[in-house]
Amino acid sequence: MMKKFTREELYKLIDGLLKGFEVIGPRELAGKGISYQAITATPDLYLGDGFTLEPVKKFFFSPSEYLFAQANGSWEEMPLGKSKRVIFGVRPCEARGLTLLDKIFDAPEYADDSYVSRRKNTAIIGLSCLNPGKDCFCTSLGGSPLDGRGMDALIFACAERFIAEIATEKGKEIFSGLGKDLTTEEREAWLQDKKKRKTPGQINLPESLDAVFKSDYWRKVSFACIGCGICTYLCPTCHCFDLADEGRRKLRCYDGCAFGDFTREASGVNPRLTKKERYRQRVFHKFDYFKKNFGENLCVGCARCIRHCPVKMDISEIVRNVSLEAKA
Amino acid sequence: MRNIYTPYLAEITGIKQETSDIKTFRLEFKDKAVESSFKYRPGQFVELSVFSEGEAPFCIANSPTRQSGLECSVKRMGKVTQALHDLDIGDTVGIRGPYGNGFPLEALKGKNLLFVAGGIGLAPLRSLINYCLDNRSDFEDITIVNGARTSADLVYKDEYGIWQKAKATKLHLTVDCQEENWSCMVGVVPKVLEKLAPACGNSAAIVCGPAVMMKYTLPVLLRLGFCEPSIITTLEMKMKCGLGKCGRCNIGHLYICKDGPVFSYRQLEDLNYEF
Repeated sequence: MMKKFTREELYKLIDGLLKGFEVIGPRELAGKGISYQAITATPDLYLGDGFTLEPVKKFFFSPSEYLFAQANGSWEEMPLGKSKRVIFGVRPCEARGLTLLDKIFDAPEYADDSYVSRRKNTAIIGLSCLNPGKDCFCTSLGGSPLDGRGMDALIFACAERFIAEIATEKGKEIFSGLGKDLTTEEREAWLQDKKKRKTPGQINLPESLDAVFKSDYWRKVSFACIGCGICTYLCPTCHCFDLADEGRRKLRCYDGCAFGDFTREASGVNPRLTKKERYRQRVFHKFDYFKKNFGENLCVGCARCIRHCPVKMDISEIVRNVSLEAKA
Repeated sequence: MRNIYTPYLAEITGIKQETSDIKTFRLEFKDKAVESSFKYRPGQFVELSVFSEGEAPFCIANSPTRQSGLECSVKRMGKVTQALHDLDIGDTVGIRGPYGNGFPLEALKGKNLLFVAGGIGLAPLRSLINYCLDNRSDFEDITIVNGARTSADLVYKDEYGIWQKAKATKLHLTVDCQEENWSCMVGVVPKVLEKLAPACGNSAAIVCGPAVMMKYTLPVLLRLGFCEPSIITTLEMKMKCGLGKCGRCNIGHLYICKDGPVFSYRQLEDLNYEF
């Protein structure tokens, strides 16, 4: 189902949604860049080309949250997030990232209730990237700025209006009062127009990394790494976490393979002793292990880890060059 | 609704000092419904937590055939293990689990079993040894080679007599260096194993011990004729969730918590694993 509408109509829709939903979307904050925030008034919503610093994953899998607390010799569990939410302006790569996180947190055997509940109660309304970033490589991982997977609807900014491709019942409900359906001719024209849209160039990624596990390549490419972990925090698909006790409460917080204590055991033994083993784990988890377990890479090509790395490490370049290394 | 990370409450009903730094805790769930529904296989593990201190994984050291509560043997090593050692009978801990695959009981049926343990590595094997002794007719000869640095470091000492007397069961004890009043074997586990040269026909070897013991024991087993798929071990690594989500205990694409902790030597070879 496809609909067209103006910016004013979209704002009116959001105004209406504000009455029954928690509305979240990208906002540009002075001196702080763009970030997903609660939208309280429609002009707050940022619909430009820029990308948010943090991905949308934090609304489902929080950087730090309490799971339960000890109370009177028993456990008191934190209530599940059940508020109805609509998140606007989600980029296609990030929505795909959520579908990958689903495989971990909505696993058949052990489903993470807080994550599942938030997913169930949240509608994702995407925004197609009109001008993908220079580092973006979503197309190399089977994604595209035009890809609506993992979304309830995907909005495209056109010359004087917006077009929404609506995929789910949740999406239909949200857009029920808005704009007009596209006529057959408009539909055809739009599908033609869509083909002309900019998408990032494709790079060749290796099928398997098995042959290069023991290579010295990982020492060389990880040399610059300062172990700050920003790549893992800003990644829409990194899901590693720590469980920690804080007083009588149990905390779950982001953790990552970049940190030395991630795998350091009480005895002092650390199977990933240097940044060589730690960075190799990051690349293998994303481009080899996850694929063996779930058939897809654990990367969506959003390039946050490239844009924000303080030492300019570029995972797309490092993975692409593995093929050369394997031949050498 | 129960969060997958929320433990059940359990009471410490017994503590046995095994060595200077290892205690075996007997744990019983406070909720009797949990107690009776908690089913596990030898080789599986639990996440034990101490309020405000943290949580860590420990193998279940007793056999499900003798189930009344759980036993975990804990070596004092870091924050959580120290906190556990500081607890007394009657104190409360948290338990999540059981997790992991456990030993391949069906595949071991009808075989001669060689158990090779070093130090606290005997803990997961003890669960299986007692399981096998309680289902004696399912298994052929049982040989146990158990070593420790010194005789004071040997665990489960009061069970040795029972194992020695059991039908078609042999127990070989060894310590690294000669001691006064020590009448069993002397030498590190791989050397002793080579000397004993147990037969490999229709056999499986179940090995658990410190990395250095594993490293030198595996070549000995291969020389004795044990084939890679029939050498079985149980591994450990730092863990948090125990559910294959927190991302730290993987070897290659397999998680020790979810796909292990029991692996065959063949699997580990395929995963580029090094002890």
